[in-house]
Amino acid sequence: MPAIALQNFSYAYNHPKKVLDNITISIEKGSFSVILGPSGAGKTTLCLAVAGAVPHYFGGSSAGKVYVAGIHTQESSMQQLALTVGTVLQDYETQLVTMTVEEEVAFSLENMGIVPEEITQRVEEVLAKVGLTGYEKQAVTDLSGGQKQRLVLASVLATNPKILVLDEPTSALDPEGTYSLYKLLSDLNQEHGITILVVEHDIATVLPYADQFILLENGQLILNGTPESVLSFMAKKQIFAEAIPPLWQLKLMIEELATRQFASWHTEEEAIIQLGKALDEEARKNA
Amino acid sequence: MQKIAPITKLALTIFVTIWSIVLQSLPALTALIVCQLILLVIAKVGSSIYKGIASLFVFAAILAGMQYAINNDIMLAAITASKMIAMTLVFFILLATTRMQDLSAALVLQCHIPYEYAFMLTAALRFIPDFLAESKAIQEAQACRGYSPQGNVLQRFFSYMAVIKPLVLKAVTKSETMALSLELRGFGSRKTRSFKNNVTLALQDYAMLLSMILFTSYLVIQIY
Amino acid sequence: MLELKNVYFSYKAQSHDIHDVSLRVNPGEFLAIVGRNGSGKTTLTRLMMTLKKPTKGELFFQGNSLANATPAKMAHHIGYVFQNPDRQIFHDTVAEEVAYGPKQIGCTPEQIQTFVTQALEVTGLSHLAATYPLSLSKGQKQRLTIASALAMQPKILILDEPTSGQDARERDQLLQLLLKLHQQGTTILLVTHDMEFLSSCAQRAIVMKKGQKVFDGTVAELFHDTNQLTDWGLIEPAALKISRQLASFQISQTTSITQLGNQIANLLRRNNDHAENSPHH
Ligand SMILES: Nc1ncnc2c1ncn2[C@@H]1O[C@H](COP(=O)(O)OP(=O)(O)O)[C@@H](O)[C@H]1O
Ligand SMILES: Nc1ncnc2c1ncn2[C@@H]1O[C@H](COP(=O)(O)OP(=O)(O)O)[C@@H](O)[C@H]1O
Ligand SMILES: [Mg+2]
Ligand SMILES: [Mg+2]
Repeated sequence: MPAIALQNFSYAYNHPKKVLDNITISIEKGSFSVILGPSGAGKTTLCLAVAGAVPHYFGGSSAGKVYVAGIHTQESSMQQLALTVGTVLQDYETQLVTMTVEEEVAFSLENMGIVPEEITQRVEEVLAKVGLTGYEKQAVTDLSGGQKQRLVLASVLATNPKILVLDEPTSALDPEGTYSLYKLLSDLNQEHGITILVVEHDIATVLPYADQFILLENGQLILNGTPESVLSFMAKKQIFAEAIPPLWQLKLMIEELATRQFASWHTEEEAIIQLGKALDEEARKNA
Repeated sequence: MQKIAPITKLALTIFVTIWSIVLQSLPALTALIVCQLILLVIAKVGSSIYKGIASLFVFAAILAGMQYAINNDIMLAAITASKMIAMTLVFFILLATTRMQDLSAALVLQCHIPYEYAFMLTAALRFIPDFLAESKAIQEAQACRGYSPQGNVLQRFFSYMAVIKPLVLKAVTKSETMALSLELRGFGSRKTRSFKNNVTLALQDYAMLLSMILFTSYLVIQIY
Repeated sequence: MLELKNVYFSYKAQSHDIHDVSLRVNPGEFLAIVGRNGSGKTTLTRLMMTLKKPTKGELFFQGNSLANATPAKMAHHIGYVFQNPDRQIFHDTVAEEVAYGPKQIGCTPEQIQTFVTQALEVTGLSHLAATYPLSLSKGQKQRLTIASALAMQPKILILDEPTSGQDARERDQLLQLLLKLHQQGTTILLVTHDMEFLSSCAQRAIVMKKGQKVFDGTVAELFHDTNQLTDWGLIEPAALKISRQLASFQISQTTSITQLGNQIANLLRRNNDHAENSPHH
């Protein structure tokens, strides 16, 4: 059973235009999936469909089905789904509703009816996980953007969700903040088997961790597959090709000009090793 | 003070408000203010609270000055200002010594107010500073486009639209997003909700409540 | 054109949010300000716009002290593009929105007409002049705020992290727009985290760290020392990192993917027979 499955899912807000149009995707348990596409493509709507807010909160009209951990979302409730799916919204600052860091995490647990003794312990654990130990009593408004974001993540993780959905989580972070957020998500993914679904504009930052890319445009699913297949497709068909990260622009360019193939590149280090080897061989042949 | 149950402090707030209205003599009102200040010192509140109190006193002094200018009655002016200080101080005590979450827990468990309403009350308090910061940011953004309100009242009103429109829009989208995010965090299924902190009454709470009731009764009997 | 002399600023009594910064923005240049979050980039630009006054030190614009200047007056000279367009949009049409600035600074109706038309044209929004601004896409809203600034005919344009939250297409359009404006003579000051973006447009860079200016030089000089980049919280553009690592194969350093790709492809292509026989997977 996949963690998330959309079957011919279509959706329109209270407006006739289809924002998602006949989408069929399957995301396996333990996957690190990334939704790509220009703004207005329907990425946020797709995230909200997984969390059940579409259609439970927004109404509108839909067709097809969304299954999350085997639950048919339309026949469940948002509260029920919240036990399985943790969601970090694009406007994450508004997700913080209490005065202090500790209360924020406790709030999620109180909503679930966890007993007080267990709340204290879980708050401590989850703050340690996101690196906010020592900030328990701090006022939420005094945190920096990156810290607020980790706090939202903590309050979502506190309920032990099997699936994490994050909508453009790095738009307010600097390169180091972005790196450490994705490192943290990757650890949660690798060590705790949490399925991750994230929207990201800068493909280079997720390339080392992702195993599935989902490309949307105008509410349609253009392609869904391994990062390699989606990036090659984007280049070949010139669909949203601006988003291809520099590393892959280089790879595809050399492959075309020098008619040869490289294995997949996830990091610059991998590229340097493979290019070094190829250049070395070439130099030896010429010698 | 922090150990007193939130419901007791809520009762204190109500009683002090009643006392401030009922009491008419300057010495009694001064005594009430002094008692409250002592409570604040005992509670060891932060320096930001004292700053707030300082501005409260300044504001009350201005109020008294204005009233004196109108009525030419120094006693009446002093009493009005003291009443205002006495009433407002108790809110400082309540807010400085009670965590929002405990206050809403008390409202729900002991006053039987539905959780949603109690939460909205506390969340509104939480968002006031955010709202002020947003208003400042919008004013700055518009100032960089030449915004500087001047002229007569009508002209000023129209130039304020540059700030008010984006601010209202922001407040609306923010409350929408907040409602959505609360649902996403499993908020609203009241049956299963728990409260982390104990807000039940202890011996000291009963003692305080009883003495407040007695004092109020005494005042009422004295006057009527 | 714009000069800061030993400027200090703090938001709170004990903090040093800007510490002894001196710099000069020269006419016609494309200057980038980089550094970690919280390093003081935004504060520096707010000081330039006189939204904040320095606690010590002085600022000058075209030789005049800014001690008594106000943001509304600075709007004649400096266009400031904020990160969040929703904080400023309040008119019913795009054209009225752009006309607000020139009206405020007292331009004549004819001037306003000309400036709005020009600003909409250069930002590619002419066809949307009558549209309701809040229905625009994210990228269009941002270009609207740029147009609003340009309509006041500023000599300097300041942009605070304009690429964050924008998709790749919008980012490319922004790059083209900034290059065009720069070519037309506008001085540009760009605050950014995006090193790929920076290396394709900026000429000079300033690095901020904990409120202090720790680097001021050309973009080539900025990328000169890898260890220092790490210390400042910056990352190298991919092309630069790879070309540096492959220097032993006579590959010269570059920040351009196209140049690097051509260099490597040329080396690999030299013996084309081998390349064709090599196994494809
Ligand atoms: N609450 C809403 N009501 C009506 N239309 C909406 C709403 N949210 C988004 N849309 C529309 O749905 C489309 C897809 O939006 P969205 O899912 O936010 O895209 P993305 O996240 O890829 O930028 C857009 O055309 C947008 O205008
Ligand atoms: N409104 C404010 N009140 C108090 N401190 C602030 C405010 N804005 C920024 N700061 C502080 O000033 C420093 C520099 O911030 P900023 O200029 O926003 O950095 P950057 O733009 O480089 O991320 C930070 O330490 C930040 O916490
Ligand atoms: Mg979105
Ligand atoms: Mg900033």
